[in-house]
Amino acid sequence: MTWPVADLDAIRRLRALAAAVPGAFVAETVINAPFDQVWAVAADLEGELPAYLPDVRSFTVTSRDGELLVARARGYAGLRARFDIVLRPGWCVMRSRFLLGGMAAVPDGQQTRFAFLGGTLIPAQRAAAPALAVVGRWAGPKVLTRFADRVDQRGPGRQPD
Amino acid sequence: MTDTERLAGLVHAAQRGDGLAMAELLDALAPAVGRWCGPIALQDADDAAQEAMIAILRGLRGLRDPAALFGWARAIAVREAVRVARRTEREQTDELAHLPAPGDPLLAADIKDVLTRLTPEHRAVLMLRDLEGLDERTAAALLRVPAGTVKSRLARARASFRKEWQA
Repeated sequence: MTWPVADLDAIRRLRALAAAVPGAFVAETVINAPFDQVWAVAADLEGELPAYLPDVRSFTVTSRDGELLVARARGYAGLRARFDIVLRPGWCVMRSRFLLGGMAAVPDGQQTRFAFLGGTLIPAQRAAAPALAVVGRWAGPKVLTRFADRVDQRGPGRQPD
Repeated sequence: MTDTERLAGLVHAAQRGDGLAMAELLDALAPAVGRWCGPIALQDADDAAQEAMIAILRGLRGLRDPAALFGWARAIAVREAVRVARRTEREQTDELAHLPAPGDPLLAADIKDVLTRLTPEHRAVLMLRDLEGLDERTAAALLRVPAGTVKSRLARARASFRKEWQA
């Protein structure tokens, strides 16, 4: 006897996480490329993250223990932050002192559903949540467009590190 | 560090707003949430699981004892699953009257098929008793109904369940 089980896929998990963090946003799209090709870009944090997040100048992984990573980010506006990261196929969540980011991908035939999460962990985030949500609605689609462009430019050749 | 200690640490961190801890709790709870929501919300199960997880993460600050995480989360998930299922299903006033006669080809030996013939509340009672092993009193408290109501719901759910499987 097999009871039905609900599937809380990676994108649904990312949406749940965003809903629990005031001001966080999730933007989702369907990328016309298979999962492996999409995740090759997502998992290459050092090489690709600065290409689709315009405020990030460099992103350097300083330690790696299985799916747990630590990275140092440097931005054009003087941002310097340490990020603790969980990274595995289809799922990435990263957190600094003030920022929360995430990516999730789910295969959809020969295409891939891809979602990006952005949010802040500032003390006043509840009060600022409506404004941050507006920023997210504006910024999220731009990030997705840049990300999809990177998937297209990189092509099917390179696999995740 | 034991799993219990690790989970307690994650709960405390998530209660302070640590997004990474919330993500790890999500990983820890997701299989159970899927198991709780599936039999109750059926075709809406994935939506119900997502709604349940949102309610769980948002309500974390109200969890005083991290050791009670799974029982506390189960109560939220079951109530969310019933709520989501009821949103799309019309209340069946007498589900037994709608059961097909024995020999009807609709009576496939499929638990999902049987569950579709029960109301979300009946499915919740059946799942809590037969899958989670709760007693009637605990199930009643979780569903926020009198114990007698659970007893009658369970009797009816099991009767229709047994009838379906024996058909």
